[in-house]
Amino acid sequence: MIERWALVSGLKGDLETYEVIQRELKNTRAVKTLFVLGDMVGPERNCDALLNRLKNPIRGELQPQCIYGWWEEQLLAEQGFRGEQKADALRLNQGEEAVTALLDAVDPSHLKWLASLQFGFIELDCGLIHGSSANVGDHLTPETSPLILLDRLTRLDVNRLFTAHSTKQFHLELAGGELNSQVKDLNGERQYQQKVSKQSIIGIGAGPNYTIYDVGSDKTQFLSAGGQCNTSGNGFA
Amino acid sequence: MKNAVISCLHANLAAVKAVLNDIDQQGIDHITCLGDLVGYGPQPNEVVELIRKRAIDTCQGCWDEDIIEGLNACECSYPSQLAEKRGHLAHEWTAEQLTDENKNFLAGLPTSIRRDRILFVHGSPNSQHEYLLPDMNAFAALERVEKAGADILFCGHTHQPYVRELKNGSIRVRLKNTSQNNAEEKEMNLPMRKIVNAGSVGEPRHGSTNATYVIHDDITEEIEIREVTYDVNQTCTAIIEAGLPQIFAWRLSHGFEFAEQAEDASHVCER
Repeated sequence: MIERWALVSGLKGDLETYEVIQRELKNTRAVKTLFVLGDMVGPERNCDALLNRLKNPIRGELQPQCIYGWWEEQLLAEQGFRGEQKADALRLNQGEEAVTALLDAVDPSHLKWLASLQFGFIELDCGLIHGSSANVGDHLTPETSPLILLDRLTRLDVNRLFTAHSTKQFHLELAGGELNSQVKDLNGERQYQQKVSKQSIIGIGAGPNYTIYDVGSDKTQFLSAGGQCNTSGNGFA
Repeated sequence: MKNAVISCLHANLAAVKAVLNDIDQQGIDHITCLGDLVGYGPQPNEVVELIRKRAIDTCQGCWDEDIIEGLNACECSYPSQLAEKRGHLAHEWTAEQLTDENKNFLAGLPTSIRRDRILFVHGSPNSQHEYLLPDMNAFAALERVEKAGADILFCGHTHQPYVRELKNGSIRVRLKNTSQNNAEEKEMNLPMRKIVNAGSVGEPRHGSTNATYVIHDDITEEIEIREVTYDVNQTCTAIIEAGLPQIFAWRLSHGFEFAEQAEDASHVCER
């Protein structure tokens, strides 16, 4: 066992769940790194305590490696950190009340830190992003067209893409396939054949549902804070 | 019916006139233009006015957008700082020259034109700045066409004309970790799709000084890539007389646009 990663997302201010996950990780062998793939904030509750804890971990805890997610993007846009953009997607989907609730849930003193977070991480041959390489709000599930999944992997040039926005837990492997193409130009015609290499998209879950990834064996374990092991991720619908 | 598709005119009036003349001689009266009417070349107003006069269906190119919106692409669009500087000079010169009326015309152009299952864009359905090169990852290329809900995608921007047919494809996926022992598996057969790049009228980058465009026969589905000669020296002289960087004339006279394509052509500028 080389190293295992813990992947968390969608806490939306829930410090209690985060503390439960941290306690469980202490008892999980070989977990060296904790990635928090965004959506640390949300409109349902005050998020200041969780943000303070993420910024200032207590002794013995895994230091979280955080990126921003869809909710942070909405917050930062509304607070003027994204040029002329505002929280249009949130406003459209959930109305003005949700925008106000989000602004109320996060003290402005956290904005600078949130704005400093990256869009994603590249670790080894893995991409870790809240949505995908296309968009922080990209909703990838086992039902997403394999063509789109392959595109998202190709854009990042990675073999594994960890995603969180759909909130689902799944481990989908692109197991094979090919595509032929014929190009005609002023120099004549050429034939190409492109093969699908073995690549994966991994949905890590959200809130209490989190994922342990074993880097050496490429195995995922889907867990739920509080001790439940989700032996099965989401299957094809 | 035969349709002519032209792209990347780049304010090169002599080339545009020669191509339109070639189209007229074949009796084709339906023309679609994929943008970049201006930029680099010495006759931006004349070219825009000719397109307007002929009432040619046109979508907006990256140069047309940048002239209106201000420079929208970051330095990633250029292979070097010198190339970027030249690009900015051309941008400033063109913005100064264009009349308000012509700017308004460019501002009002759509980013895509759809005719049933045929889509016309400048770069890609994602962005006017994205290059769909002939050898790009085939699955990514197919995704662009599929996402757009098209059977045939007409694009420009690369200045290299080509027809790429994507066919006989499949992807097999396996859902792991769904139960103790069994992995679910399914296979998706991919549809056949086509990408047609119209090349460039005003600034060819395919190794010849000739202007290029394509003709699509929507009955036989045949696509012909056309090369048209024009008076290159006339445009080169006009470039120099206009005070634009002389290298624009030099590269046009050599039939290859050596500069202005970023090292990572697949990069999509987010700015």
